[in-house]
Amino acid sequence: MKILVADDSRVMRQIVIRTLRQAGYDDHDIVEAEDGRDAYDKVRSENPDLVLSDWNMPNMTGLECLEALRGSGSAVPFGFVTSEGSAEMRQKAADAGALFLIAKPFTEETFRENLEGVLA
Amino acid sequence: MTHPTDTGVRRRASDRPPALADLLGEATVLEITEQAWTALVGEDEVLVPLPAPLPAVTRSSWVEIVGPWTGTVVLTCGADTAVELTGALLREHAPAVLEDEDVDDALGELANVVGGNVKAVLPGPSVLGLPEVGTTPPAGREANTCRVAVLWRGQPLTVSVQSPAV
Repeated sequence: MKILVADDSRVMRQIVIRTLRQAGYDDHDIVEAEDGRDAYDKVRSENPDLVLSDWNMPNMTGLECLEALRGSGSAVPFGFVTSEGSAEMRQKAADAGALFLIAKPFTEETFRENLEGVLA
Repeated sequence: MTHPTDTGVRRRASDRPPALADLLGEATVLEITEQAWTALVGEDEVLVPLPAPLPAVTRSSWVEIVGPWTGTVVLTCGADTAVELTGALLREHAPAVLEDEDVDDALGELANVVGGNVKAVLPGPSVLGLPEVGTTPPAGREANTCRVAVLWRGQPLTVSVQSPAV
């Protein structure tokens, strides 16, 4: 299976990838995207099984990326990994079609809880 | 019957921006920072809440919060500490020589995570900006600043939640 990790911070992409491995998802292919626009393009070109995306990114936010994907007919499973986890943002994420929102800072347990069932 | 002079000014208490001290305490900022450190830097990475003078050469990163309370969340440490922090965040993926870009990225992301969690305890709705790195932005009044000073691996580091300088 293939996971697309989108974050404008290279350091945070590394931390997300490391946490995925620690959570037991160490046999998946990882593709990285550096903003929402790049994530949108890579969903089309790489056809990932799951997108883990930051919210607040330049060029195109994670939410705009998700809305653009759904608008173009893509049903790729999509979850946010973001520093903001307010009820308002969780609602916005759910309304746009996100499966979950993991708030930073996160632990490997948080990843397991949210990814269980998505990455069977 | 006399009436007070009408100055024409219409003001309610709710028009004033809330005082930071009424919204946030140092204990909350410390707890948020500790959680970020444990999760991102490492489980065994301890922050000791002890104030110590920052070195002459520092590096700061910050995120802006705009909403009912507007201001910035600023992380400041010595330049060498910033490099060490970047290495700790990247672990085995850290290159032998860290570029300035990596250090800015790491420091910015720490401010982003702390700032996002500070935003969550402040009244909303509010918007979080993208992380910025550079010279420490000037703070507003001391009364509208919540500052936590800690030691990480013996090196001083501060987290300030501060209103903008007017």
